Amino acid sequence: MSPESLNALSLSIRVAVLATALNALVGIPLAYALARRRFAGKTLVDLLVTLPLVLPPTVTGFYLIVLLGRRGWLGSPLYAATGWSIAFTWYAAVVAATVMALPLLVRTARAAIESVDRDLERAAHTLGRSEWRTALEVTLPLARNGIIAGLVLAFARALGEFGATLMLAGNIPGRTATVPLSIYTAVQTGESGEALGLVAILTVLSCVVLLVAGRLGARAA
Amino acid sequence: MSARLDVALHKALPGFDLDVQWTAGDGIAVLFGPSGAGKSLTLACLAGLVRPDAGRVVVDDRVLFDSSAGVDLPPQRRRVGYVFQGYALFPHLSVADNVGFGLRDRPRAERARRVQEVIERLGLGGLAARRPAELSGGQRQRVALGRALAIDPALLLLDEPLSALDLPLRRALRDELRATLADLRMAAVVVTHDFTEAYRLGDRIVVYDGGRVVQSAPRSELLWQPASEAVARIMAIPNVLRGTVVKATPDRIQLRWRGQLLEAVNSPARAYLPPPEAPLAFFIRPEYVRLIRKDRGLTDPSHHMNVMQGTVVEEMDFGTTWTLRIRLDEPGAPSQGAFDLEVEVPHLVYEILEIDRDRHWDFSIHRGSIHVLPG
Repeated sequence: MSPESLNALSLSIRVAVLATALNALVGIPLAYALARRRFAGKTLVDLLVTLPLVLPPTVTGFYLIVLLGRRGWLGSPLYAATGWSIAFTWYAAVVAATVMALPLLVRTARAAIESVDRDLERAAHTLGRSEWRTALEVTLPLARNGIIAGLVLAFARALGEFGATLMLAGNIPGRTATVPLSIYTAVQTGESGEALGLVAILTVLSCVVLLVAGRLGARAA
Repeated sequence: MSARLDVALHKALPGFDLDVQWTAGDGIAVLFGPSGAGKSLTLACLAGLVRPDAGRVVVDDRVLFDSSAGVDLPPQRRRVGYVFQGYALFPHLSVADNVGFGLRDRPRAERARRVQEVIERLGLGGLAARRPAELSGGQRQRVALGRALAIDPALLLLDEPLSALDLPLRRALRDELRATLADLRMAAVVVTHDFTEAYRLGDRIVVYDGGRVVQSAPRSELLWQPASEAVARIMAIPNVLRGTVVKATPDRIQLRWRGQLLEAVNSPARAYLPPPEAPLAFFIRPEYVRLIRKDRGLTDPSHHMNVMQGTVVEEMDFGTTWTLRIRLDEPGAPSQGAFDLEVEVPHLVYEILEIDRDRHWDFSIHRGSIHVLPG
């Protein structure tokens, strides 16, 4: 395998790991809030989180450019202040993968949290636990398998992200060219050997992820 | 005796309105009534898990909730032990960790001692390391009770504590639960829709129907003096009948039913004196209807009162007793569908009288066994 391919693989894994960590940080509290709390704008939040699941990834990527690009709503003040933009950096690949993977984690974890018997939480309340402690000691441990299954799926999705990454991060070899993007480049430039190697690696990784998620899902049920 | 528990709750939900007020003294109060009457909602309000729109909850002079004073203690600070229907044991924790769950603030050694104490007291010794999934139904119930008791609650709430169990175990645990609760001498509220359970467990029974309290009374008073026909029907008392008043005095009520002139005992205490011709509900306990033996000569009116004649039209074998459904000879529509009265006789009596062969009987009802239900 060429150094470019190895580079792509290491980048992809870095992106996927970081995106999964961000998913855990944002997605688990979000899933809990959607499952257990009533708040203003809940429907809107649910919609926004889920949208990347059904929109073409390029559309999601487009919105990310509008938001974070050098001339974006958040991106332009940032650029004005620091002269730095996230666009076309590997952080952009992380952001794109995070946004694309989030609905998978949130939906899976939310279902797992919703399936926890509410009487268990009520019992914890009568036994002196705050809602916060109850979530940590009762709800989340009991939803653990579903949450892990969601994280595994999110990791797989982040690993395979293509469209939104291309839009926001571009396809810069050695910087933002993840495995899926490198496969595309390799096919475009006729390097089918390189493409085949990367395809095989992604396929095997995805199979492993699906098996793990399936087993966790079965144990959760 | 001062009231240990003073409850007034109002809560409007879509399609349901809870509006109840009752008090209880020492011992166990049972909330009894059909499903959906608001019993479990009441428990949730007592525990602070549901916030009532208005009302007041006082336990031993400690105000847990008072809408007019703006008091609403969160469930965490109410010191209310709650045994949930289905027990709600934490499946990922051992028996010991379940029991000790409410003791987190105490020093480790004291906590361990208290857990041990509760486990011993409830006969769960040797099960401390088990998970709830590895326990029998009866053991789970005891763990749930132990978990609630471990925090030394000021008030103990039990929601259908026996409904998850098989019938034989249910009877045994009912008596065990009664003994345990009697030992504890703490205010306790039990919810059930089973009258036998209510009667066995409760010192006071509060009858719920459609979000209202229809009667609150010591258990024996409820058994013999249901406040109304509605209460009698909720208790599933057989032979709840409707007649017409002939004459009412403080001691006696004469009434007409299915062409018979019956005499019932009135209670001077409740001063119920309906005018003549007023409709009147009453009930006759099936086990208090006497069949008159044909080999004992003519009916002696001093021995037998309220004598009637009828035919057994249906019979049901309940193992130790037979229930006979009797249709009076009187022409006209029977008062309970195809029959007028249910009569219960022990197997032995059934055999001696050869009821399987002989279907037509004279029977009598003592006036003290006809219970008038005030309107």
